[in-house]
Amino acid sequence: MADRLFSKFMESVKSREFTISGEIDPPKDVNREAVEEQVSCLKDHVVAANVTDNPIGDVIMNTFAPCVIMQEMGLEAIYQATCRDRNRIALQSDIIGAAAVGIKNVLALTGDHTRMGNHPQAKPVFDFDSVLLTQTIRKMVDEGKNWAGLELEHPPKLHVGVGLSPGLDPLEPEIIKLEKKIEAGAEFAQTQCVYDVRILERLKEETSHLEIPILPGLAPLRSIGMAKFMLKYVPGISIPDEMLKQLETSKDLKETTIDMTAELIRTVKEMGFAGVHIMPVGMDAQVGEMIKRSGVR
Amino acid sequence: MIITRQKTFDEIEAMVDDHDYNKIALIGCGGCVAFYHQGGRKETVELAEKLKAGSRDVITGIANRQCYLCREEDVRDLNDADTLKKVSREIEGFDNLDGVEAVISLACGVGVQNLANLVEIPVIPAQNTMFMGKRRVRGDFDIEQCIGCGDCILGLTGGICPVTRCAKSLMNGPCGGVFKGNCEVSQSRVSKHPVPCAWILIYKKLKKLGRLDNMKKIRPARDFVKSANMRMLEVEQVG
Repeated sequence: MADRLFSKFMESVKSREFTISGEIDPPKDVNREAVEEQVSCLKDHVVAANVTDNPIGDVIMNTFAPCVIMQEMGLEAIYQATCRDRNRIALQSDIIGAAAVGIKNVLALTGDHTRMGNHPQAKPVFDFDSVLLTQTIRKMVDEGKNWAGLELEHPPKLHVGVGLSPGLDPLEPEIIKLEKKIEAGAEFAQTQCVYDVRILERLKEETSHLEIPILPGLAPLRSIGMAKFMLKYVPGISIPDEMLKQLETSKDLKETTIDMTAELIRTVKEMGFAGVHIMPVGMDAQVGEMIKRSGVR
Repeated sequence: MIITRQKTFDEIEAMVDDHDYNKIALIGCGGCVAFYHQGGRKETVELAEKLKAGSRDVITGIANRQCYLCREEDVRDLNDADTLKKVSREIEGFDNLDGVEAVISLACGVGVQNLANLVEIPVIPAQNTMFMGKRRVRGDFDIEQCIGCGDCILGLTGGICPVTRCAKSLMNGPCGGVFKGNCEVSQSRVSKHPVPCAWILIYKKLKKLGRLDNMKKIRPARDFVKSANMRMLEVEQVG
């Protein structure tokens, strides 16, 4: 399995280069331009970009279409697949379809609960979880068999990554789960957004026994309002007081945000992580500047 | 126990009025619903008083267990009238349901269906059947504990059921939605009452028991053949 490299993203990770991935948010309607705009902003700065799968359960454009658009525009896609809306039949079917149109990376996630989004009455599926999805994808790719054991004459060729939430407390159950994901075949991990260096240090320490390349997630804090919202509602988020003060007293928020994010990118690299995963949350046009100021390239 | 919540009076009354039922029998249950004060003797009488206020003819009775009112084989060969008599005798409070236009059952969904299967009178449910669970020690909440998945793994999870008590029924550990030890589905934005993350409870319990290794093994995907609708179990004949 030595030359088992299907994607530019994985090639970059394996080369021990500091790998930067991005992320796009599909629009809530048929706005192809919104996808193209985000891709245009990112394509010269990141190796690949994730396409989210109806985050928090809001109905938006599916993951598949933006992945195709993105790859047509020359940026490699990381297809996020969650277990919230699809059972094992639909999940595998989507993976086969994704591979058929040239998608090379999948991020296997459990997914937010249906109750969190704008269709809280919907039936939550969760037939699989992230561990089982990872295991099944690897079985398809490596053994050429689907979950039920049926042979695939033309198996998908793609890499599978997983999520990780380094800010959870206690962290041990999350690490146990990561170990299971690795056992299941996870090839890389991207994390929930991190703002606090102490969280990164703890993550480094608690995963030092693990081989998996980890890309800490960064989402630029655009305002004090966003920071407060995240602290109040998003699990595992810790934001240093100093950062909050910077946001509160900033005379040019955009500049402050770019600088803060650049600083975090630099820190992540200095700490020896495999790369960084940038979720621009609307600041797509500034991602290039954030990376430039970080000096990691 | 089967945990239920009585429907609002307006909803019950609307079901009665929709069909202009005037002679009604209210049948409570001495089982779970009585234990948790939803459909026992007291609640049956209280509901009857409210319905009588609409100048309806209301009689009340209590079945010891509505889910086990009569054995199927005891009524198999009886005609409708005789079945009704037999059922009536099983209910403490009245001799005969004859002439009753509708029955309101204060039992759980199992009791309602058992009764409806026995008598050729319309049966109206007074409860919403919620789940299998128990009342918390402090008494402020009834909590669901068993979903009846047909494939019990409590022996591996420290006696805490992730299938029931994890909002996503996850089998392989907590998701990223653990908010200050609680399930984010229960956090303030969507719900008033914080509910502990089942997997954090399991983790703590297994750690205490020195069996964290249970949590480290990948659990296979659930087999939904065991918990799909229309489940029936063959009963071994005794004797």
